[in-house]
Amino acid sequence: MDTKPTDTPIIEIVRATKIYSPDVVALENVSLSIPYGEMLFLTGMSGAGKTTLLKLICGIEHPDKGLVEVAGKDLDRIKNKEIPRLRQQIGMAYQDFKLLADRTVAQNIGMAMEVAYQNLKTIKKRVIELLQKLRLEHKHDALAGRLSRGEQQRVAVARAVANSPALILADEPTGNLDSKSTKLVMDLFRECNKRGTTVIIATHDESIFKDTDHRVLELQSGRLLQQDDRTISALNNMP
Amino acid sequence: MKFINTIVVQTGRNLQKTWPSQFMTLLTVSLSVLIFSFFFLIYTNMINTGEKLGDDLRLTIYLEEEPVLEMQAQLVKKITNFSPVEEIRFTSRQEAYDSLAKQLGENVDVLDDLDPSFLPPSIEVYPKKNLSTLAEIKKFSEYLTTLPGAIKVQYGQEWVERFNYFTKLLRAIVILSGILLIMTTTFMVAYTIRLAVLARQAELEILRLLGATNNYIRTPFLIEGFLQGVFGSSLGLLALYFLYRWIKLNFTGPGILQLVNFTFFTPAIMAIIIFASVVLCIGGSFSSMRKFMRI
Ligand SMILES: Nc1ncnc2c1ncn2[C@@H]1O[C@H](COP(=O)(O)OP(=O)(O)OP(=O)(O)O)[C@@H](O)[C@H]1O
Ligand SMILES: [Mg+2]
Repeated sequence: MDTKPTDTPIIEIVRATKIYSPDVVALENVSLSIPYGEMLFLTGMSGAGKTTLLKLICGIEHPDKGLVEVAGKDLDRIKNKEIPRLRQQIGMAYQDFKLLADRTVAQNIGMAMEVAYQNLKTIKKRVIELLQKLRLEHKHDALAGRLSRGEQQRVAVARAVANSPALILADEPTGNLDSKSTKLVMDLFRECNKRGTTVIIATHDESIFKDTDHRVLELQSGRLLQQDDRTISALNNMP
Repeated sequence: MKFINTIVVQTGRNLQKTWPSQFMTLLTVSLSVLIFSFFFLIYTNMINTGEKLGDDLRLTIYLEEEPVLEMQAQLVKKITNFSPVEEIRFTSRQEAYDSLAKQLGENVDVLDDLDPSFLPPSIEVYPKKNLSTLAEIKKFSEYLTTLPGAIKVQYGQEWVERFNYFTKLLRAIVILSGILLIMTTTFMVAYTIRLAVLARQAELEILRLLGATNNYIRTPFLIEGFLQGVFGSSLGLLALYFLYRWIKLNFTGPGILQLVNFTFFTPAIMAIIIFASVVLCIGGSFSSMRKFMRI
Protein backbone atom coordinates (compact mmCIF):
# COMPACT_ATOMS: atom_id res chain seq x y z
CA MET A 1 0.00 0.00 0.00
CA ASP A 2 3.07 2.17 0.09
CA THR A 3 3.11 2.58 -3.63
CA LYS A 4 0.01 3.94 -5.27
CA PRO A 5 -0.37 2.57 -8.73
CA THR A 6 -2.92 4.73 -10.43
CA ASP A 7 -4.32 1.96 -12.55
CA THR A 8 -5.34 -0.50 -9.81
CA PRO A 9 -7.98 0.61 -7.32
CA ILE A 10 -7.30 0.46 -3.60
CA ILE A 11 -10.48 -1.53 -3.13
CA GLU A 12 -11.96 -3.98 -5.58
CA ILE A 13 -15.00 -5.95 -4.56
CA VAL A 14 -16.50 -8.40 -7.03
CA ARG A 15 -19.89 -9.96 -6.45
CA ALA A 16 -19.39 -10.34 -2.74
CA THR A 17 -22.06 -12.08 -0.73
CA LYS A 18 -22.05 -12.30 3.04
CA ILE A 19 -24.42 -14.55 4.89
CA TYR A 20 -24.42 -14.58 8.67
CA SER A 21 -25.38 -17.93 10.08
CA PRO A 22 -27.93 -19.27 9.85
CA ASP A 23 -29.54 -17.32 7.01
CA VAL A 24 -29.12 -13.55 7.37
CA VAL A 25 -28.08 -12.24 4.00
CA ALA A 26 -26.18 -9.11 5.00
CA LEU A 27 -24.66 -8.46 1.57
CA GLU A 28 -25.66 -9.85 -1.77
CA ASN A 29 -23.67 -9.66 -4.98
CA VAL A 30 -21.99 -6.41 -4.11
CA SER A 31 -19.46 -5.17 -6.65
CA LEU A 32 -17.51 -2.02 -6.00
CA SER A 33 -14.32 -0.44 -7.16
CA ILE A 34 -12.70 2.44 -5.30
CA PRO A 35 -9.63 4.18 -6.70
CA TYR A 36 -6.82 5.50 -4.51
CA GLY A 37 -7.56 8.85 -2.93
CA GLU A 38 -11.31 8.80 -3.27
CA MET A 39 -13.69 10.00 -0.59
CA LEU A 40 -16.93 8.12 -0.62
CA PHE A 41 -20.15 7.92 1.34
CA LEU A 42 -21.96 4.69 2.01
CA THR A 43 -25.53 5.07 3.07
CA GLY A 44 -28.60 2.99 3.60
CA MET A 45 -31.14 2.09 6.21
CA SER A 46 -30.24 0.49 9.46
CA GLY A 47 -29.47 -3.15 8.79
CA ALA A 48 -28.71 -2.53 5.13
CA GLY A 49 -25.23 -3.95 5.48
CA LYS A 50 -22.97 -0.88 5.76
CA THR A 51 -20.98 -2.15 8.72
CA THR A 52 -20.72 -5.57 7.13
CA LEU A 53 -19.24 -4.08 3.99
CA LEU A 54 -16.63 -2.15 5.96
CA LYS A 55 -15.78 -5.30 7.89
CA LEU A 56 -15.19 -7.16 4.65
CA ILE A 57 -12.85 -4.41 3.53
CA CYS A 58 -10.72 -4.54 6.66
CA GLY A 59 -10.76 -8.31 6.75
CA ILE A 60 -12.65 -8.83 10.01
CA GLU A 61 -15.31 -10.72 8.11
CA HIS A 62 -14.90 -12.79 4.99
CA PRO A 63 -17.32 -13.01 2.07
CA ASP A 64 -19.09 -16.32 1.52
CA LYS A 65 -18.98 -15.70 -2.19
CA GLY A 66 -17.07 -13.27 -4.31
CA LEU A 67 -13.80 -11.46 -3.97
CA VAL A 68 -12.48 -8.63 -1.84
CA GLU A 69 -9.16 -7.09 -2.80
CA VAL A 70 -7.47 -4.34 -0.88
CA ALA A 71 -4.36 -2.75 -2.35
CA GLY A 72 -4.24 -5.56 -4.88
CA LYS A 73 -4.35 -8.27 -2.25
CA ASP A 74 -7.06 -10.89 -2.10
CA LEU A 75 -8.08 -10.86 1.57
CA ASP A 76 -9.09 -14.50 1.42
CA ARG A 77 -5.66 -15.60 0.27
CA ILE A 78 -3.52 -13.19 2.22
CA LYS A 79 -0.98 -14.79 4.51
CA ASN A 80 -1.59 -14.53 8.23
CA LYS A 81 1.69 -12.71 8.57
CA GLU A 82 0.59 -9.94 6.22
CA ILE A 83 -2.66 -9.16 8.00
CA PRO A 84 -1.13 -6.94 10.72
CA ARG A 85 0.72 -4.83 8.13
CA LEU A 86 -2.46 -4.39 6.17
CA ARG A 87 -4.49 -3.45 9.23
CA GLN A 88 -1.92 -0.87 10.24
CA GLN A 89 -2.64 0.78 6.91
CA ILE A 90 -6.40 0.77 7.49
CA GLY A 91 -7.84 3.09 10.11
CA MET A 92 -11.30 1.98 11.12
CA ALA A 93 -13.54 4.03 13.38
CA TYR A 94 -15.94 1.39 14.69
CA GLN A 95 -19.60 2.05 15.16
CA ASP A 96 -19.29 0.72 18.70
CA PHE A 97 -15.97 2.59 19.12
CA LYS A 98 -14.06 -0.39 20.58
CA LEU A 99 -12.17 1.79 23.02
CA LEU A 100 -10.50 0.50 26.17
CA ALA A 101 -12.56 1.94 28.99
CA ASP A 102 -9.78 1.75 31.57
CA ARG A 103 -7.19 3.53 29.47
CA THR A 104 -6.82 7.24 29.00
CA VAL A 105 -7.90 8.99 25.84
CA ALA A 106 -4.26 9.56 24.89
CA GLN A 107 -3.41 5.87 25.40
CA ASN A 108 -6.38 4.78 23.32
CA ILE A 109 -5.40 6.97 20.42
CA GLY A 110 -1.70 6.13 20.81
CA MET A 111 -2.35 2.40 20.57
CA ALA A 112 -2.89 2.61 16.83
CA MET A 113 0.58 4.08 16.45
CA GLU A 114 2.24 1.89 19.05
CA VAL A 115 1.39 -1.28 17.19
CA ALA A 116 3.22 0.22 14.23
CA TYR A 117 6.23 0.83 16.50
CA GLN A 118 6.09 4.59 16.16
CA ASN A 119 8.38 6.47 18.40
CA LEU A 120 6.89 7.65 21.67
CA LYS A 121 7.57 11.34 21.00
CA THR A 122 5.91 11.18 17.61
CA ILE A 123 2.91 9.50 19.21
CA LYS A 124 2.60 12.15 21.90
CA LYS A 125 2.75 14.96 19.38
CA ARG A 126 0.26 13.37 17.06
CA VAL A 127 -2.20 12.63 19.87
CA ILE A 128 -2.15 16.23 21.06
CA GLU A 129 -2.54 17.51 17.52
CA LEU A 130 -5.57 15.29 16.90
CA LEU A 131 -7.19 16.13 20.22
CA GLN A 132 -6.86 19.82 19.41
CA LYS A 133 -8.47 19.32 16.04
CA LEU A 134 -11.41 17.54 17.66
CA ARG A 135 -11.64 19.97 20.62
CA LEU A 136 -10.80 17.27 23.16
CA GLU A 137 -7.49 18.58 24.47
CA HIS A 138 -8.88 18.78 28.00
CA LYS A 139 -9.70 15.07 27.93
CA HIS A 140 -6.14 13.98 27.17
CA ASP A 141 -5.78 12.10 30.46
CA ALA A 142 -9.41 11.19 31.08
CA LEU A 143 -10.34 7.52 31.10
CA ALA A 144 -12.13 6.62 27.90
CA GLY A 145 -14.88 4.87 29.86
CA ARG A 146 -15.83 8.13 31.60
CA LEU A 147 -16.42 10.08 28.41
CA SER A 148 -19.77 10.95 26.90
CA ARG A 149 -20.80 9.02 23.80
CA GLY A 150 -20.00 11.95 21.56
CA GLU A 151 -16.56 12.32 23.09
CA GLN A 152 -15.90 8.60 22.75
CA GLN A 153 -16.91 8.82 19.14
CA ARG A 154 -14.37 11.52 18.46
CA VAL A 155 -11.68 9.50 20.24
CA ALA A 156 -12.54 6.56 17.98
CA VAL A 157 -12.16 8.81 14.96
CA ALA A 158 -8.86 10.16 16.24
CA ARG A 159 -7.53 6.63 16.73
CA ALA A 160 -8.58 5.70 13.20
CA VAL A 161 -6.63 8.53 11.60
CA ALA A 162 -3.72 8.61 14.09
CA ASN A 163 -1.30 6.36 12.22
CA SER A 164 -1.98 8.24 8.96
CA PRO A 165 -3.29 5.11 7.26
CA ALA A 166 -3.75 4.88 3.51
CA LEU A 167 -7.38 3.94 3.99
CA ILE A 168 -9.86 5.27 6.53
CA LEU A 169 -13.11 3.43 7.19
CA ALA A 170 -15.51 5.42 9.35
CA ASP A 171 -18.62 3.63 10.53
CA GLU A 172 -21.28 6.15 11.49
CA PRO A 173 -18.65 8.62 12.73
CA THR A 174 -21.11 11.38 13.51
CA GLY A 175 -23.98 9.39 14.95
CA ASN A 176 -23.65 10.89 18.41
CA LEU A 177 -22.42 14.34 17.47
CA ASP A 178 -23.91 17.81 17.38
CA SER A 179 -23.50 19.81 14.18
CA LYS A 180 -20.37 21.64 15.40
CA SER A 181 -18.55 18.45 16.37
CA THR A 182 -19.75 16.82 13.17
CA LYS A 183 -18.04 19.59 11.23
CA LEU A 184 -14.78 19.04 13.16
CA VAL A 185 -14.82 15.35 12.32
CA MET A 186 -15.70 15.91 8.69
CA ASP A 187 -13.01 18.58 8.35
CA LEU A 188 -10.49 16.08 9.69
CA PHE A 189 -11.56 13.47 7.16
CA ARG A 190 -11.44 16.01 4.34
CA GLU A 191 -7.97 17.03 5.39
CA CYS A 192 -6.82 13.39 5.34
CA ASN A 193 -8.42 12.92 1.94
CA LYS A 194 -6.65 16.02 0.57
CA ARG A 195 -3.36 14.38 1.56
CA GLY A 196 -4.27 11.40 -0.60
CA THR A 197 -5.94 9.11 1.92
CA THR A 198 -8.89 7.09 0.70
CA VAL A 199 -11.85 7.73 3.01
CA ILE A 200 -15.04 5.69 3.20
CA ILE A 201 -17.77 6.96 5.47
CA ALA A 202 -20.77 4.81 6.28
CA THR A 203 -23.58 6.96 7.54
CA HIS A 204 -27.28 7.69 7.46
CA ASP A 205 -26.69 11.28 8.43
CA GLU A 206 -27.76 12.95 5.19
CA SER A 207 -26.51 16.34 6.29
CA ILE A 208 -22.89 15.31 5.82
CA PHE A 209 -23.25 14.22 2.19
CA LYS A 210 -26.12 16.41 1.07
CA ASP A 211 -24.07 18.89 -0.98
CA THR A 212 -21.07 16.75 -1.64
CA ASP A 213 -19.32 16.23 -4.95
CA HIS A 214 -18.14 12.82 -3.76
CA ARG A 215 -19.70 9.53 -4.68
CA VAL A 216 -22.59 8.44 -2.49
CA LEU A 217 -23.47 4.74 -2.62
CA GLU A 218 -26.59 3.30 -1.14
CA LEU A 219 -27.12 -0.15 0.24
CA GLN A 220 -30.59 -1.61 0.45
CA SER A 221 -31.05 -4.94 2.20
CA GLY A 222 -27.57 -5.98 1.29
CA ARG A 223 -27.68 -4.87 -2.33
CA LEU A 224 -25.76 -1.94 -3.70
CA LEU A 225 -28.08 0.37 -5.63
CA GLN A 226 -26.91 1.85 -8.89
CA GLN A 227 -26.81 5.61 -9.16
CA ASP A 228 -30.16 5.61 -11.00
CA ASP A 229 -31.80 3.34 -8.47
CA ARG A 230 -30.75 5.75 -5.81
CA THR A 231 -32.75 8.54 -7.37
CA ILE A 232 -35.75 6.27 -7.63
CA SER A 233 -35.46 5.22 -4.03
CA ALA A 234 -35.19 8.87 -3.05
CA LEU A 235 -38.35 9.60 -5.01
CA ASN A 236 -40.12 6.71 -3.36
CA ASN A 237 -39.26 8.05 0.02
CA MET A 238 -40.80 11.39 -0.73
CA PRO A 239 -44.13 12.11 0.89
CA MET B 1 14.99 0.83 19.25
CA LYS B 2 11.38 1.86 18.67
CA PHE B 3 10.42 -1.77 19.01
CA ILE B 4 12.23 -2.09 22.32
CA ASN B 5 10.74 1.13 23.67
CA THR B 6 7.23 0.11 22.79
CA ILE B 7 7.68 -3.37 24.20
CA VAL B 8 9.14 -2.07 27.46
CA VAL B 9 6.22 0.30 27.94
CA GLN B 10 3.82 -2.50 27.14
CA THR B 11 5.47 -4.88 29.60
CA GLY B 12 5.48 -2.23 32.31
CA ARG B 13 1.74 -1.78 31.84
CA ASN B 14 1.14 -5.51 32.05
CA LEU B 15 3.10 -5.82 35.26
CA GLN B 16 1.26 -2.89 36.74
CA LYS B 17 -2.03 -4.59 36.02
CA THR B 18 -1.26 -8.10 37.16
CA TRP B 19 1.45 -7.63 39.78
CA PRO B 20 -0.25 -9.54 42.61
CA SER B 21 -0.32 -12.78 40.65
CA GLN B 22 3.08 -12.03 39.17
CA PHE B 23 4.45 -11.57 42.67
CA MET B 24 2.98 -14.86 43.85
CA THR B 25 4.59 -16.61 40.91
CA LEU B 26 7.89 -14.96 41.65
CA LEU B 27 7.73 -16.29 45.21
CA THR B 28 6.79 -19.76 44.01
CA VAL B 29 9.65 -19.81 41.56
CA SER B 30 12.13 -18.67 44.18
CA LEU B 31 10.83 -21.16 46.72
CA SER B 32 11.17 -24.02 44.23
CA VAL B 33 14.67 -22.89 43.34
CA LEU B 34 15.50 -22.62 47.03
CA ILE B 35 14.29 -26.14 47.80
CA PHE B 36 16.03 -27.65 44.82
CA SER B 37 19.31 -25.83 45.23
CA PHE B 38 19.35 -26.54 48.98
CA PHE B 39 19.42 -30.29 48.38
CA PHE B 40 21.68 -29.86 45.42
CA LEU B 41 24.13 -27.87 47.51
CA ILE B 42 24.23 -30.57 50.18
CA TYR B 43 24.63 -33.19 47.50
CA THR B 44 27.57 -31.50 45.79
CA ASN B 45 29.23 -31.01 49.16
CA MET B 46 28.72 -34.68 49.97
CA ILE B 47 30.30 -35.67 46.70
CA ASN B 48 33.26 -33.41 47.42
CA THR B 49 33.69 -34.86 50.86
CA GLY B 50 33.36 -38.36 49.51
CA GLU B 51 36.16 -37.66 47.09
CA LYS B 52 38.33 -36.27 49.81
CA LEU B 53 37.67 -39.24 52.07
CA GLY B 54 38.40 -41.50 49.15
CA ASP B 55 41.79 -39.84 48.94
CA ASP B 56 42.86 -41.25 52.28
CA LEU B 57 41.11 -44.55 51.95
CA ARG B 58 43.28 -47.45 53.00
CA LEU B 59 42.77 -51.11 53.61
CA THR B 60 44.47 -52.74 56.54
CA ILE B 61 45.25 -56.47 56.38
CA TYR B 62 45.97 -58.09 59.74
CA LEU B 63 48.32 -61.02 59.54
CA GLU B 64 48.88 -64.10 61.67
CA GLU B 65 52.65 -64.01 61.41
CA GLU B 66 55.16 -61.40 60.62
CA PRO B 67 56.13 -62.04 57.02
CA VAL B 68 59.76 -62.52 56.21
CA LEU B 69 61.22 -60.34 53.48
CA GLU B 70 60.76 -62.93 50.81
CA MET B 71 57.16 -63.36 51.84
CA GLN B 72 56.66 -59.60 51.78
CA ALA B 73 57.79 -59.42 48.19
CA GLN B 74 55.38 -62.19 47.32
CA LEU B 75 52.50 -60.45 49.04
CA VAL B 76 53.24 -57.19 47.24
CA LYS B 77 53.24 -59.06 43.97
CA LYS B 78 49.91 -60.70 44.74
CA ILE B 79 48.29 -57.45 45.76
CA THR B 80 49.50 -55.47 42.76
CA ASN B 81 48.45 -58.29 40.51
CA PHE B 82 44.87 -57.71 41.49
CA SER B 83 44.89 -53.94 41.33
CA PRO B 84 47.58 -51.31 41.02
CA VAL B 85 48.10 -49.47 44.30
CA GLU B 86 49.56 -46.21 45.43
CA GLU B 87 51.54 -47.61 48.31
CA ILE B 88 51.95 -50.73 50.46
CA ARG B 89 53.34 -50.48 53.94
CA PHE B 90 54.24 -53.29 56.31
CA THR B 91 53.84 -52.82 60.04
CA SER B 92 55.55 -55.21 62.40
CA ARG B 93 54.26 -56.11 65.88
CA GLN B 94 56.83 -53.79 67.38
CA GLU B 95 55.91 -50.89 65.11
CA ALA B 96 52.23 -51.36 65.90
CA TYR B 97 53.04 -51.36 69.60
CA ASP B 98 55.17 -48.25 69.30
CA SER B 99 52.60 -46.32 67.41
CA LEU B 100 49.92 -47.26 69.96
CA ALA B 101 52.22 -46.18 72.77
CA LYS B 102 52.78 -42.91 71.01
CA GLN B 103 49.05 -42.36 70.64
CA LEU B 104 48.47 -43.04 74.31
CA GLY B 105 51.06 -40.45 75.29
CA GLU B 106 50.95 -39.95 79.05
CA ASN B 107 48.73 -42.95 79.57
CA VAL B 108 51.36 -45.25 78.18
CA ASP B 109 51.56 -47.11 81.48
CA VAL B 110 48.39 -49.08 80.67
CA LEU B 111 50.59 -51.04 78.32
CA ASP B 112 53.05 -51.96 81.05
CA ASP B 113 51.55 -55.33 81.84
CA LEU B 114 51.16 -56.28 78.20
CA ASP B 115 53.42 -58.23 75.97
CA PRO B 116 54.71 -55.87 73.27
CA SER B 117 53.77 -58.52 70.77
CA PHE B 118 50.06 -58.59 71.53
CA LEU B 119 49.20 -56.53 68.45
CA PRO B 120 49.12 -58.35 65.15
CA PRO B 121 51.40 -57.32 62.31
CA SER B 122 49.63 -55.71 59.38
CA ILE B 123 49.85 -54.45 55.84
CA GLU B 124 48.40 -51.11 54.89
CA VAL B 125 47.30 -50.84 51.29
CA TYR B 126 46.58 -47.41 49.78
CA PRO B 127 44.61 -48.11 46.63
CA LYS B 128 44.80 -45.94 43.55
CA LYS B 129 41.88 -43.55 43.11
CA ASN B 130 40.34 -45.68 40.40
CA LEU B 131 38.74 -47.79 43.12
CA SER B 132 35.98 -45.29 43.55
CA THR B 133 32.89 -47.36 44.00
CA LEU B 134 31.98 -49.24 47.10
CA ALA B 135 31.58 -52.45 45.15
CA GLU B 136 35.13 -52.25 43.87
CA ILE B 137 36.53 -51.63 47.30
CA LYS B 138 34.52 -54.57 48.62
CA LYS B 139 35.84 -56.84 45.93
CA PHE B 140 39.38 -55.76 46.61
CA SER B 141 38.98 -56.35 50.32
CA GLU B 142 37.52 -59.79 49.70
CA TYR B 143 40.51 -60.62 47.57
CA LEU B 144 42.87 -59.39 50.24
CA THR B 145 41.28 -61.74 52.81
CA THR B 146 42.36 -64.68 50.68
CA LEU B 147 46.03 -63.74 50.94
CA PRO B 148 48.08 -66.32 52.83
CA GLY B 149 48.26 -65.50 56.51
CA ALA B 150 45.55 -62.80 56.44
CA ILE B 151 43.18 -62.80 59.41
CA LYS B 152 41.01 -59.80 58.67
CA VAL B 153 40.73 -56.83 56.34
CA GLN B 154 39.47 -53.47 57.53
CA TYR B 155 38.62 -50.33 55.65
CA GLY B 156 35.85 -48.73 57.69
CA GLN B 157 33.20 -50.75 55.85
CA GLU B 158 30.32 -49.54 57.94
CA TRP B 159 31.16 -45.92 57.51
CA VAL B 160 31.73 -46.13 53.77
CA GLU B 161 28.51 -48.04 53.30
CA ARG B 162 26.52 -45.57 55.29
CA PHE B 163 28.02 -42.68 53.40
CA ASN B 164 27.25 -44.38 50.17
CA TYR B 165 23.67 -45.00 51.12
CA PHE B 166 23.21 -41.42 52.20
CA THR B 167 24.64 -40.12 48.95
CA LYS B 168 22.21 -42.28 47.02
CA LEU B 169 19.29 -41.05 49.09
CA LEU B 170 20.34 -37.48 48.58
CA ARG B 171 20.64 -37.99 44.87
CA ALA B 172 17.05 -39.21 44.80
CA ILE B 173 15.95 -36.15 46.77
CA VAL B 174 17.81 -33.85 44.40
CA ILE B 175 16.15 -35.46 41.41
CA LEU B 176 12.72 -35.27 43.05
CA SER B 177 13.10 -31.65 44.01
CA GLY B 178 14.38 -30.96 40.50
CA ILE B 179 11.20 -32.42 39.06
CA LEU B 180 9.21 -30.39 41.57
CA LEU B 181 11.08 -27.30 40.46
CA ILE B 182 10.33 -27.96 36.82
CA MET B 183 6.66 -28.62 37.43
CA THR B 184 5.90 -25.76 39.80
CA THR B 185 7.86 -23.28 37.77
CA THR B 186 6.35 -24.07 34.40
CA PHE B 187 2.86 -24.54 35.77
CA MET B 188 2.86 -21.43 37.89
CA VAL B 189 4.28 -19.29 35.12
CA ALA B 190 1.89 -20.76 32.60
CA TYR B 191 -0.94 -20.07 35.04
CA THR B 192 -0.07 -16.43 35.68
CA ILE B 193 0.49 -15.77 32.02
CA ARG B 194 -2.89 -17.32 31.38
CA LEU B 195 -4.43 -14.96 33.94
CA ALA B 196 -2.62 -12.06 32.33
CA VAL B 197 -3.83 -13.07 28.89
CA LEU B 198 -7.42 -13.40 30.10
CA ALA B 199 -7.21 -10.08 31.94
CA ARG B 200 -6.12 -8.45 28.72
CA GLN B 201 -8.48 -10.29 26.41
CA ALA B 202 -10.39 -7.16 25.38
CA GLU B 203 -7.20 -5.27 24.84
CA LEU B 204 -5.60 -8.03 22.81
CA GLU B 205 -8.67 -8.15 20.60
CA ILE B 206 -8.42 -4.44 19.87
CA LEU B 207 -4.66 -4.63 19.39
CA ARG B 208 -5.19 -7.27 16.77
CA LEU B 209 -7.76 -5.10 15.01
CA LEU B 210 -5.31 -2.23 15.00
CA GLY B 211 -2.73 -4.42 13.31
CA ALA B 212 -0.51 -5.57 16.15
CA THR B 213 1.87 -8.29 15.05
CA ASN B 214 2.19 -11.55 16.92
CA ASN B 215 5.57 -10.41 18.18
CA TYR B 216 4.09 -7.22 19.52
CA ILE B 217 1.52 -9.18 21.48
CA ARG B 218 3.78 -12.05 22.50
CA THR B 219 7.00 -10.34 23.48
CA PRO B 220 5.73 -8.66 26.66
CA PHE B 221 4.52 -12.02 27.97
CA LEU B 222 7.82 -13.65 27.14
CA ILE B 223 9.64 -10.84 28.89
CA GLU B 224 7.45 -11.42 31.92
CA GLY B 225 8.42 -15.08 31.86
CA PHE B 226 12.05 -14.09 31.51
CA LEU B 227 11.86 -11.70 34.45
CA GLN B 228 10.11 -14.34 36.55
CA GLY B 229 12.94 -16.73 35.79
CA VAL B 230 15.77 -14.31 36.46
CA PHE B 231 14.42 -12.71 39.60
CA GLY B 232 12.76 -15.84 40.96
CA SER B 233 15.89 -17.96 40.73
CA SER B 234 18.18 -15.16 41.91
CA LEU B 235 15.96 -14.61 44.91
CA GLY B 236 15.96 -18.34 45.66
CA LEU B 237 19.75 -18.54 45.42
CA LEU B 238 20.13 -15.45 47.55
CA ALA B 239 17.94 -16.98 50.23
CA LEU B 240 19.99 -20.15 50.03
CA TYR B 241 23.17 -18.15 50.41
CA PHE B 242 21.91 -16.58 53.60
CA LEU B 243 20.85 -19.99 54.86
CA TYR B 244 24.30 -21.28 54.02
CA ARG B 245 25.98 -18.43 55.88
CA TRP B 246 23.77 -19.01 58.88
CA ILE B 247 24.54 -22.73 58.95
CA LYS B 248 28.26 -22.07 58.61
CA LEU B 249 28.21 -19.54 61.42
CA ASN B 250 26.16 -21.62 63.81
CA PHE B 251 27.27 -25.16 63.16
CA THR B 252 30.98 -24.95 62.60
CA GLY B 253 32.10 -26.39 65.86
CA PRO B 254 33.65 -29.78 66.30
CA GLY B 255 31.75 -32.40 64.37
CA ILE B 256 30.89 -33.37 60.88
CA LEU B 257 30.77 -29.89 59.42
CA GLN B 258 34.39 -29.35 60.29
CA LEU B 259 35.34 -32.50 58.55
CA VAL B 260 33.24 -31.47 55.59
CA ASN B 261 34.49 -28.33 53.99
CA PHE B 262 31.06 -26.83 53.37
CA THR B 263 31.22 -24.59 50.29
CA PHE B 264 28.67 -22.64 48.23
CA PHE B 265 27.98 -23.08 44.51
CA THR B 266 30.52 -21.84 42.05
CA PRO B 267 29.37 -18.93 39.87
CA ALA B 268 29.14 -21.31 36.92
CA ILE B 269 26.65 -23.54 38.72
CA MET B 270 24.62 -20.55 39.85
CA ALA B 271 24.54 -19.32 36.26
CA ILE B 272 23.31 -22.71 35.13
CA ILE B 273 20.54 -22.74 37.74
CA ILE B 274 19.42 -19.26 36.75
CA PHE B 275 19.61 -20.08 33.06
CA ALA B 276 17.58 -23.27 33.53
CA SER B 277 14.91 -21.36 35.47
CA VAL B 278 14.71 -18.73 32.75
CA VAL B 279 14.28 -21.42 30.11
CA LEU B 280 11.54 -23.07 32.19
CA CYS B 281 9.70 -19.81 32.76
CA ILE B 282 9.83 -18.74 29.14
CA GLY B 283 8.68 -22.21 28.18
CA GLY B 284 5.72 -21.94 30.56
CA SER B 285 4.81 -18.55 29.24
CA PHE B 286 5.06 -19.74 25.67
CA SER B 287 2.90 -22.80 26.15
CA SER B 288 0.27 -20.70 27.88
CA MET B 289 0.16 -18.23 25.03
CA ARG B 290 -0.17 -20.92 22.44
CA LYS B 291 -3.22 -22.21 24.23
CA PHE B 292 -4.96 -18.94 24.95
CA MET B 293 -4.00 -16.60 22.18
CA ARG B 294 -4.67 -18.39 18.94
CA ILE B 295 -1.26 -17.32 17.75
N1 LIG C 1 -22.61 -11.05 13.69
C1 LIG C 1 -23.82 -11.10 13.11
N2 LIG C 1 -24.54 -12.23 13.17
C2 LIG C 1 -25.74 -12.31 12.57
N3 LIG C 1 -26.28 -11.32 11.91
C3 LIG C 1 -25.61 -10.15 11.80
C4 LIG C 1 -24.34 -9.99 12.39
N4 LIG C 1 -23.90 -8.75 12.12
C5 LIG C 1 -24.86 -8.16 11.39
N5 LIG C 1 -25.88 -8.99 11.20
C6 LIG C 1 -27.05 -8.72 10.41
O1 LIG C 1 -26.65 -8.33 9.12
C7 LIG C 1 -27.45 -7.27 8.63
C8 LIG C 1 -26.54 -6.10 8.25
O2 LIG C 1 -25.95 -5.57 9.43
P1 LIG C 1 -25.02 -4.30 9.42
O3 LIG C 1 -24.45 -4.18 10.78
O4 LIG C 1 -24.06 -4.44 8.32
O5 LIG C 1 -26.03 -3.15 9.14
P2 LIG C 1 -25.77 -1.58 9.09
O6 LIG C 1 -26.10 -1.13 7.75
O7 LIG C 1 -24.42 -1.29 9.60
O8 LIG C 1 -26.84 -1.06 10.13
P3 LIG C 1 -26.77 0.19 11.11
O9 LIG C 1 -27.01 1.40 10.30
O10 LIG C 1 -27.86 -0.06 12.09
O11 LIG C 1 -25.43 0.15 11.73
C9 LIG C 1 -28.42 -6.95 9.73
O12 LIG C 1 -29.65 -7.57 9.42
C10 LIG C 1 -27.83 -7.55 10.96
O13 LIG C 1 -28.82 -7.99 11.83
MG1 LIG D 1 -23.63 -0.39 11.16
